[in-house]
Amino acid sequence: MLKLRKLDMRKFIVPMLLVLVAGVLTAFVQQNPEADRLMGVWEPSNGRARVKIEKIGAKYYGKFVWLKEPIEPTTGQPKTDKNNPDPSMKNVPLKGYRMLKDFVYKGNNEWADGTIYDPLNGSTYSCTIKMTNANTLDIRGYIGVSALGRTDVWKRLVVK
Amino acid sequence: MHIRDFIAPNKTAGLIVALLCAATTSLQAQTETPQTPADTLAPPAAEEDYSQYDNIGFAGEGVKRYCSPKIEGLSPAKLISIGYDYQMGYMMKADTFRRAGNFAPLMPDSARVLTSNGLRFGCNIPVISRTDLVWQMGANYWEQRYKFEDPSALKNPMLTSLSENGLRTMGINTTLFKPLNDVKFLLFQGSADLSGDYQFGKFMPLKYTKYSAALIYGKRTSEKKQWGVGVARTYRVGELNYIPIIFYNSTDVANKWGTEILFPARAHVRRTINSRNMLFAGYELEGQSYRLWRSNDQTGFNLRNEDAEIRRGEIRLRAVYEFSLKDFIWMSIQAGYRINYRYDVDRLSDGKEVYRAFGLASDAPYVMVNQLSNPLYFNISLNLVSP
Repeated sequence: MLKLRKLDMRKFIVPMLLVLVAGVLTAFVQQNPEADRLMGVWEPSNGRARVKIEKIGAKYYGKFVWLKEPIEPTTGQPKTDKNNPDPSMKNVPLKGYRMLKDFVYKGNNEWADGTIYDPLNGSTYSCTIKMTNANTLDIRGYIGVSALGRTDVWKRLVVK
Repeated sequence: MHIRDFIAPNKTAGLIVALLCAATTSLQAQTETPQTPADTLAPPAAEEDYSQYDNIGFAGEGVKRYCSPKIEGLSPAKLISIGYDYQMGYMMKADTFRRAGNFAPLMPDSARVLTSNGLRFGCNIPVISRTDLVWQMGANYWEQRYKFEDPSALKNPMLTSLSENGLRTMGINTTLFKPLNDVKFLLFQGSADLSGDYQFGKFMPLKYTKYSAALIYGKRTSEKKQWGVGVARTYRVGELNYIPIIFYNSTDVANKWGTEILFPARAHVRRTINSRNMLFAGYELEGQSYRLWRSNDQTGFNLRNEDAEIRRGEIRLRAVYEFSLKDFIWMSIQAGYRINYRYDVDRLSDGKEVYRAFGLASDAPYVMVNQLSNPLYFNISLNLVSP
C-alpha cells in the first residue's frame, strides 16, 4: 500500500512540474515592459475623471477610479451609467466601469484595436492610444475611419 | 508519522494542483476578449479602495488644462449630413424690375409657387482635433427648386429664372476652436459660398463668391454652460451685414432641458428625452445673396447684364426631433413655418455690394421689392454625428 502511494506521487509530480513550468513561461512571455508602460492612472484633459489602465491577459483595459462629481445631483446617489442604451446597464455605478477595452500593443508607442466608451452619451467608439511621452497619452476616438474622430490628451497621475 | 508522511503531502500536492488549475483557468479566461456588458464591470467597489485615487498628482510638469468645445447634454455635432427641404405652396409677388440705364422697366408679376424644395448636403471633417486646438473643414451644397403653378405664363425675368434654374449655394467652410485655458476660448467660423441661379453645366465665375465669418470670445463656466460674445459678417438676412452675436449653450442639472443659442442666427430650447432622443423648439435665420447669372433665352432679356442679386432672408420657426437611428447615424425631422424676411433684388454699384447697415449707412433703393406669403415647411436629414 505504501509502495503504491509513493509510485502514484511520482507520476503526479512530473505533470505538475510541467504545468508549473508552462505557467511560468506563459507569465514570462506576457511580460512586456514596453507595452506595460500604458498601465497606471491617467486623467483626461477635462479633469473630470481618473482612469486606471490595467493589463488583463495580453490586453489593456481602463476603468474609472475617480470622478470629480461622483454624486448624481438629482438623486443624491453615486453616478451610474444612465445614458447606456442597454437598459440593464443603466444602474451600473460609473466608478469601476471599464470604459477602455481590448487594447493591444502594436509597437512604436501605439496601442490599438480597442474601444472607448463615453458615458455622457452612451456611445462606444473605436480608439487608438499613442504615448507621446512617458506621462502623456493621445487618446483618439473615432467612427469607422480615424479621420472622423477626436483626440484627447491624458496625463499620468502618481502618488506624490 | 504515517499519516503526516503520506496523507499530508498528498493534500499539499492537491492544493498546488488546484491553485495551478485555478491560475491557468483564470489566465485563460482573462486572455479571452470579454463580452459586453459583463466585461464592463470591474471587480466590485468593496474589493478596491477607490479613495487611494483621491490625492494623487500629475507625474509630469507643466500640465495645462483646456476647456472642451462641448458641454454636457449638447446635441451631437454633424460630421456629414444629407437632407431634403420642402416648402408648401405660397404666393410670390414680383415687383417691377427697374433695369439699368434707360431701358424700360419690366412689368411686375404674381404667381403661385406650388412647392419649393431641394437637396441639402453638408460635411464637417476634423483636420486637427486636439485638446488645445480643434480645426474643422467643411463643404456644403444647398439647392432650392421652384415649381410654379403655370410656368409658361410667367412674365417677370426673376420668376422665369427661378422656374427654370432655381437657386443654388455651394461653398466651403472652416471652424477653429482655440481654448485659451480651462475656461476661456476663441471660436472662429468662416465660409466662402457661391450662390446664384447657375447650373452645373454653366458654372458661375468664382469672383461672385460671398465671404462670411464670425469670431467669438467665450467662457465655458461649467460642464453644463458656455457663453460668448462676438461679431459676424453675415448674409443671413440676404444682404451683407456686420452684427454683434451672442453664443449661449446650457443644460439644466437634471439634463432634461437646455438651450442652444447663436443669436441672432438661431435659438433653440432643447428637451432631452435621453442622450439619443432630443426635441428642439426655436427659430433659425436662413439666407444668402444669389447672383442672377443665367440668361433667359425665351424672352431675349439677359439678366446677367443687370448685375443683380437676390437678397433672400427668411425666419424659420420650427420644432425639431433628432434621434439616433443606429449608433452614430442620426435622423433629424423638422417642421415649421417659413416667414419671409426679404426676397429683394439689389443691383451692385460698380460691381460692389451696397452696404446699408439696416438703413443707417445707405438708403439706396432695391431694384425689386418682392413679397412672398409664408408657408409651412418640412425638412428631413440623415446625419453622421461626431464623437
